[in-house]
Amino acid sequence: MDPANTPLGKMLLEEITPVIMVLNTPLVEEACLKNGLSFIQMLSPFCSFNNIDVPVRTASDQPYRIKKFSSRLFYGSDIRQPNLEASKDRLKQVITQASEKDISELCSDPPQIKDVINSFESAILPSWFHLFNKELIRNVSFSEHEAFDHPVACLLVVSSRDDHPINKFADLFNTSKLPSLLNDGAMDPKIMKHYLLLHDNQDGSLEKASKMLTEMRSTFGSNDCQLLCINSSHDGHIERQDDPWSLFKPDASIGKQLGCFLSNEDLIEIRELMQNLSSKHIIPYMEQKIRELNQQVSATRKGFRNQIKNLWWRKGKDDAVDSPNGPTYTYNSIESQIRVLGDYAFMLRDYELALSNYRLISTDYKLDKAWKRYAGVQEMMGLAFFLLDQSRKEAEYCMENAFNTYLKMGPSGHLNATRCGLWSAEMLKAREQYREAAAVYFRICNEEPLHSAVMLEQASYCYLLSKPPLIRKYGFHLVLSGDRYKRMDQINHAIRTYRNAIAVFKGTEWSHIKDHVHFHIGQWYASLGLYDVAVTQMLEILDCNHQSKATQELFLKDFLKIIQKAGKTVKVLKLPLPKINISSLKVIFEDHRTYASTTAANVRESLWRSLEEDMIPSLSSGRTNWLELQSKIMSKKFKESSICVAGEPVKVDIVFKNPLQIPISVSSISLICDVSSKSDETESGTNNIIVQKNTELKLSSDWDMGSDNALYTLSEVHLSLEENEEKVVQLTVTPKIEGILQIVGIRWKLSDSVLGFHNFIDNLGQKNIAKGRQKAKHSLADNLKFIVIKSLPKLEGSILSLPKVAYAGDLQRPVLELKNQSKFSVKNLKMKISQSRFLKIGNQESMNKDFPACLEKPNNREQGVHPIPSTTPNDTFLFPQDTLIQGGTPLLLPLWFRAAVPGNISLYVSIYYEMEDVSNIMRYRILRLHYNIQVLPSLDLSFQINPCPSRLHEFLVRMDIINKTSSEIFQIHQLSSIGQNWELSLLQPVDTIFPSRALMPSQALSCFFVLKNIHTSFSSEKKVSSVPVLLGSDLKLGPQTSDEQLFDTASFPLAAFHHSERVFQGTSNQDPNTVDFILITRPLKNTTDPGISESSHLFSHHVCHCSTSSHSPIWWLLEGPRSSYHDFSTSFSEINFKMTIYNSSDSTASIRIKTSDSASTSEGNETVPQSPNSANQTGWHYASLTQDIKVSSDVLGTQMGKSSSLESVSPFIWSGTSSTTVQIEPKSMAEAPLQICIFSPGIYDLSNYILQWELLPTAGSENIETTTSSGTSRGYPYYLTVLQST
Amino acid sequence: MANTACFIIVSRNNIPIYEAEVGSAVKREDSAQLHQFILHASLDIVQDLAWTTSAMFLKAVDRFNDLVVSVYVTAGLHTRLMLLHDSRNDDGIKSFFQEVHELYIKTILNPLYLPGSRITSSHFDTKVRALARKYL
Repeated sequence: MDPANTPLGKMLLEEITPVIMVLNTPLVEEACLKNGLSFIQMLSPFCSFNNIDVPVRTASDQPYRIKKFSSRLFYGSDIRQPNLEASKDRLKQVITQASEKDISELCSDPPQIKDVINSFESAILPSWFHLFNKELIRNVSFSEHEAFDHPVACLLVVSSRDDHPINKFADLFNTSKLPSLLNDGAMDPKIMKHYLLLHDNQDGSLEKASKMLTEMRSTFGSNDCQLLCINSSHDGHIERQDDPWSLFKPDASIGKQLGCFLSNEDLIEIRELMQNLSSKHIIPYMEQKIRELNQQVSATRKGFRNQIKNLWWRKGKDDAVDSPNGPTYTYNSIESQIRVLGDYAFMLRDYELALSNYRLISTDYKLDKAWKRYAGVQEMMGLAFFLLDQSRKEAEYCMENAFNTYLKMGPSGHLNATRCGLWSAEMLKAREQYREAAAVYFRICNEEPLHSAVMLEQASYCYLLSKPPLIRKYGFHLVLSGDRYKRMDQINHAIRTYRNAIAVFKGTEWSHIKDHVHFHIGQWYASLGLYDVAVTQMLEILDCNHQSKATQELFLKDFLKIIQKAGKTVKVLKLPLPKINISSLKVIFEDHRTYASTTAANVRESLWRSLEEDMIPSLSSGRTNWLELQSKIMSKKFKESSICVAGEPVKVDIVFKNPLQIPISVSSISLICDVSSKSDETESGTNNIIVQKNTELKLSSDWDMGSDNALYTLSEVHLSLEENEEKVVQLTVTPKIEGILQIVGIRWKLSDSVLGFHNFIDNLGQKNIAKGRQKAKHSLADNLKFIVIKSLPKLEGSILSLPKVAYAGDLQRPVLELKNQSKFSVKNLKMKISQSRFLKIGNQESMNKDFPACLEKPNNREQGVHPIPSTTPNDTFLFPQDTLIQGGTPLLLPLWFRAAVPGNISLYVSIYYEMEDVSNIMRYRILRLHYNIQVLPSLDLSFQINPCPSRLHEFLVRMDIINKTSSEIFQIHQLSSIGQNWELSLLQPVDTIFPSRALMPSQALSCFFVLKNIHTSFSSEKKVSSVPVLLGSDLKLGPQTSDEQLFDTASFPLAAFHHSERVFQGTSNQDPNTVDFILITRPLKNTTDPGISESSHLFSHHVCHCSTSSHSPIWWLLEGPRSSYHDFSTSFSEINFKMTIYNSSDSTASIRIKTSDSASTSEGNETVPQSPNSANQTGWHYASLTQDIKVSSDVLGTQMGKSSSLESVSPFIWSGTSSTTVQIEPKSMAEAPLQICIFSPGIYDLSNYILQWELLPTAGSENIETTTSSGTSRGYPYYLTVLQST
Repeated sequence: MANTACFIIVSRNNIPIYEAEVGSAVKREDSAQLHQFILHASLDIVQDLAWTTSAMFLKAVDRFNDLVVSVYVTAGLHTRLMLLHDSRNDDGIKSFFQEVHELYIKTILNPLYLPGSRITSSHFDTKVRALARKYL
């Protein structure tokens, strides 16, 4: 690549060119100003030539041709070090001007980063960078150590209107007015002069001017004088295709055309003048000078001898000068001359010559410690290397060296360093070393924010342009730059940089970066009044739960402030506050399934289905079933969408979450819906798309319509969310007309100022829905679409006064209330209850009676046989045929509720009903009720039954009650035994058992009753029928005097519940030797507050299948005297006993009575039926090592033997047979006589006998295996007191 | 201990999965984002550098003023442990990285941890901070 064609090359060819100093009179200026131009401005466009083609011969004898040449014109007064303040203003102006241009662009969306990478350099870089850099470089122009800024020639201009032009020329070149460079000896005051006479054609004829010219020529020499005529055009309307001055004076007012009086002839004349000046005067003069200087330098410095001499001389001078800027060099010092030679050669493109001279002098300056000059020369060397396209390394090294040297000089060198940096950055860029260029730009940032902002921005573009692009660096430097722009109030630029940076950081997970960028650009947009854009930026940072609480508050506050400033309610799609959990979206709608409560709707569909299985008509039955009707009406397209009924709300549950640590308030949450009437719906599928499009439009227009709408009604919800809180919001929409209802989205208002929208349908990716039959493959949009059908009667139902919490055993009478608001009636009601153990359907007539009085046993009624109503579990309850519900009149149905077991109970009630009006799409509907009841444990009741040792067919019943509640006091009311052949009686008077009748919390109580089997003799009732007939005996446990009635355990609710309990508690075998108990308690009446309804509570506790025959099938009774008198002095006493044995089993029993005279038998403890290793044991059992068992049993045996031997001095013996065997038929008795002999008076325990029994298998009975077929029973304690008779 | 130190683990898809300010300097309001910016920008350099060497520890890959970025690139998932620091304790930093790498491996061995997701374990956090106190 040609270095001259690079941006740097072009810049150098423009900037490092011969300077022409212009000295003119005020009249010259005046003439030019008629055109709106100064003299220099008028000439400048004609100073550069692209094809001048001048042969040049410098030091070498070989001439070469220069094609391009340009020179710079400056007024004499301008040739001085520029004013720093003024230049700063100028820089600022450049930046401000640039910012004004692209304000509209700022609002547009940031570009895609991919596009940015692929676009060309020129497209990315703002053009004003070039201007800015140029201005920066000009900051250090006309320094004394750089000869390329020293004027090469002087152009003296005098107007033809001036008096005594010759004198004027002399005055102009007055030393006092000349720039300091010429005066203080930095450059040679003997400068080439050129004299120009300017004639304004409007002022008069040319004659006077030409006369002056000849005068001038005679004075200054004919070659150096020229005449220039301008303003030849009189009318001032010269139309030009391309304005040559537009580049040079861009800020000209538009109204006035530049150069309006300059005719084309004038322009040609100007061009010829300049060309003549350049090619005939300046270039030859410079050639001349180069040759001259070269000879001089060769003479003094070239050659070995001169170098030694020079080195020696410098060394000697070493300690002489020690000023910070190094020694001063006048123009005639050899160093200055070498520099001039180098610069002239550089300007005439003889870079080799320039380079050799720069090299020569650089060592000198270094030795002299003239750092500024040294750095300047190094800089030029670098440029010369670059333009020669040689040794890149050396070029970079030189620039680096120069840069460092300038920096080393301290603040005075900063400007130079900046220029050097810019050049070296350009150089690196030209060689595509963008990364290094960026580093250079970064280094030339200084304290001045505006300056460094531009540098950082340029650095960022370098990162972008490098291969591969360093995108993140690009973004980072843009942000750095933007911050500095902001510091200097260049908001537009700040926004521009941040906007580009956003393209980089878009979608980044680096949270702090994202927040910083969006927050700041949002604020800046707001400060410019671009609130819409500001809001979109601020939206990005609202969801910032990773930030501190203070930052979150700041973000939210600023956001709301911007919203407020915007002055209108802003509508935002996808407002991130609060967060919507779209996966929590749940739609509850009612087609033929209606729900009494939300909880009912939340129950799994399959549960309901299994409950309703046999209640609803099957789908395939009949020709005119509801399905066919439906499918006729629905077009195929909408077959899969859900159905809802006009006038009935569709509910949508959704979770709102506040991600922040500060509370936010959300108001006016409602659904966005779209209803199209029925007529549209039958059209083709294209309509569907239109509906979709309309929803977008409606987002904006619909808002203000509020919730009142002809098509549908919406509900509004207001809530405030605490930090990190989640709330479920239920929203409803009620369509009013038939057609299609589409739920589009949701809207809400944040902090009463921002309207947020969320479109459900956008989230097509997420498939999650809710209720009903929808399959997963359905899209969300389909699931949110409903076919609205004509309004139907709908049954509303609830169970009134059903408790939420109850104690176990609580018996209550809630009422089911069914209502139908529409005027059409419903019929054929059916009801099904999932847990009939807890809930029974009562009789209509019991509605009118008081509770619990209706349960009381009527005084006058005989205890009789009541058949239980046929409510087998899980059966369907059919309402009477003539039941019609309509017009809002409620149907009340009493129910019975009993909290059977502690725990959480879910009750599902499903009610089926049919419409009277058959023309409807739906023929039937189902009402679903669901209740959750928490049941707390109350009384723990257990019974233990032992055969009464003193009487046959009587049992002792021990009842243990523990009050497990923490606060309730129970009053025991009644204990009933259930079963036709049992009779319950008190063992003791009630008052002695529980005088208070109250059971305090956590009190335990045990009491005893006698249970009598009264029907053993009737063999006809031996078999318990499968239809349970609840007979029983009731025992009032209250004071006998009180007027409290007994409750009828055989009447409906108690009996029914008891039956359920039996089913749930018991096994299926109908063992007649079991007894069921019902304990009825009531909460203690609150004496202080009698009005409370507590008294109506009733608790019934059912214990079923208490076995009376748990020990053995054999009962026996030892009968005989309890005490006797005998004179033992004469003889021993013989006492006879009678043992009555009853076989309660179904098979014949063989019984052996074994008496033993030792106090206790060592064998057969109790009635252990099986030894541990018995063969008929199944399942898991303990199988230990046999040795262990033996050892332990031995130990036990010896212990028992010992203990028995100690008290084995038996004072009595059984007489008669020691073993009697009897055979007893089933359910019959036998008697066996027993006798003992007593030798001394005392009290005797006659329990040392055992009964060994064996059930003989009967033909046909197969359950031998399951029952114990044999066993041993020990004798009951029987105490006999024998006294010595007197 | 270093005055300023910011430690970030960056997952393969350039998402920070763990961030900790482990320096002893008083926290400034804007330091968090500056540190993120520097580390984020230096990912560009790491991206180039990581493939030119077989070493896992790349010391001082990038700098911003007096803050230096050191990086440790794991072998398997190309996770980058990045430390922004102002101290010159190369050995300490290297040991720090190695130990944190070990911790990180233990974390990803957790079957409940989804590779590439944010490390929220408080145990990991305390361990990293302890290591920072020890080595930096």
